[in-house]
Amino acid sequence: MRKYWEISKTYMKTQLVWRADVIFNMIFTISKILFAYLLWGIIFQNKESVGMFTFHGMLSYYIVSSFLSQLEMSEGISNEIHERIRNGTFSKYIVIPAGIERYFMAMELGIVLFYLVFDFAAAVVWIYIFRIQFVFTTQWRVIVCAVLMAGLGMIFMIQLNYFLGILTLRFEGIGTFLMIKNNLVSLVTGSIVPLALFPETVTGILRLLPFYYVTYLPAMLFTGQCQEEAVRGLVIIGCWCVLMQSAIQNARKKYFRKYDGAGI
Amino acid sequence: MNKKNWRVFQELFRLRFHGLTVFRFDFFAPFFVDGSLFAIQLLAFGAVYANVDRIGSWGRGEMILYIGTFSLLNAVNMTIYFFGINSIPYKVRSGELDLYLSKPVSPLFRLTFENISPGAVPLILMSVCIIVYGIASLQMTLTLVIAAAYIFWLVLMEILYYEMEVLIRSVSLYVVSMARMEQIEEAGLDLCMKLPGIALYGVYKVIFYLILPYGIMATLPVQSMIGELNLQRTLYGIGVVVLFTAFTCIIWKNGLKHYNSASS
Repeated sequence: MRKYWEISKTYMKTQLVWRADVIFNMIFTISKILFAYLLWGIIFQNKESVGMFTFHGMLSYYIVSSFLSQLEMSEGISNEIHERIRNGTFSKYIVIPAGIERYFMAMELGIVLFYLVFDFAAAVVWIYIFRIQFVFTTQWRVIVCAVLMAGLGMIFMIQLNYFLGILTLRFEGIGTFLMIKNNLVSLVTGSIVPLALFPETVTGILRLLPFYYVTYLPAMLFTGQCQEEAVRGLVIIGCWCVLMQSAIQNARKKYFRKYDGAGI
Repeated sequence: MNKKNWRVFQELFRLRFHGLTVFRFDFFAPFFVDGSLFAIQLLAFGAVYANVDRIGSWGRGEMILYIGTFSLLNAVNMTIYFFGINSIPYKVRSGELDLYLSKPVSPLFRLTFENISPGAVPLILMSVCIIVYGIASLQMTLTLVIAAAYIFWLVLMEILYYEMEVLIRSVSLYVVSMARMEQIEEAGLDLCMKLPGIALYGVYKVIFYLILPYGIMATLPVQSMIGELNLQRTLYGIGVVVLFTAFTCIIWKNGLKHYNSASS
């Protein structure tokens, strides 16, 4: 475990090299909040509530959802694997005396721990600037469930992106697919609009998928909603992590031997 | 376009087409990626309108029309000039711009048309379908005058879109790194793609109607179609395009004087 913690620490330090990126990442979290503030501001002018949300409840949801989706930076993993397999430099990860998937997990942990403080600070600033009466649950059981769920959600996204990256060995060029995936993920994780606004049948289907538990349900739990789904959600996202892990093992067995280090 | 430029355009198109057909899936990449983006927006706003009747003065039909209009502006951008203009910062950094300056054709003309993407044409068709769907949802009678006014605004706003892209990338002729400018462009476009100009007010209106006028790009054509465009807004829209045309010419021409060949 120690070597993986060293990898995490290295990536934490690496972030300090790109200080301007850190500041701009913080600043650009405003775009999601601004979108929510302007869109829902005009809608709530004539309404007290929409679905299960009040105006401040809605903005609180966007603050938490934006904070969680900002922390979820694993899409870089699939891009990195895709690029390196295509140009033949994926060997870098093969020769390192560490498991490749665990290496990416440790890398992601280092980056998330670093950005955690800054994204939290940004969220507090936006709450203050937009004068949001922040809604937050006070139940410890729910908070613990939401934290665990967000953690499992991030692990699932790392697994998913690692899996998709490996698929480059099979399909050669998956760059376009990765971009489409990013578009879809923004919808099904509730980053654009809360999933509760979709018809019940659609929400019912989404509940079976892992993306529901990546940012949407944790954000709802933190803002004091959908508490009855907390435990069930943990079980479902846990099952998806196990499933994804077995898919990764299969893909590794099938495709890793195809890597010749020559690029595509 | 004079006779010489027309011949250059034909040759550039032929070369680009040959290059694109090498990677068949990537040929339609702009269609798949941006098509999914706007389809997701339709779904997201479908969910919003399932819970509210109007956003400001706009109902579901106006919003569909807005999404279709932005999609069309983006589709023309992707088809004709995006990939060419987007390469300006790289060409400045690498010194490749030398090759453009030494040719007997306008460098901006060649940059604009050398990376045409025929694979994005289905995106234009898809956008037209969304617009027709929006008009049908509005149950409005489309007269020749309304259609002509809409097309006039589309052309005008496409020019503005082009100028914004050139303007932002021309900054690379003055500074070493312009990643932040592209981030600002991305954030502004992302926000205004989802948020019609009618939701903007105060300082937000100044930013997205004047400084980064992405807020008027799809709003004014839609307003012209639904009869919300008065003389004041018409003059303002034309004024902004004239202003940005002059600004782009000055920045580009002066920028070329700052260009010091490789590693500038």
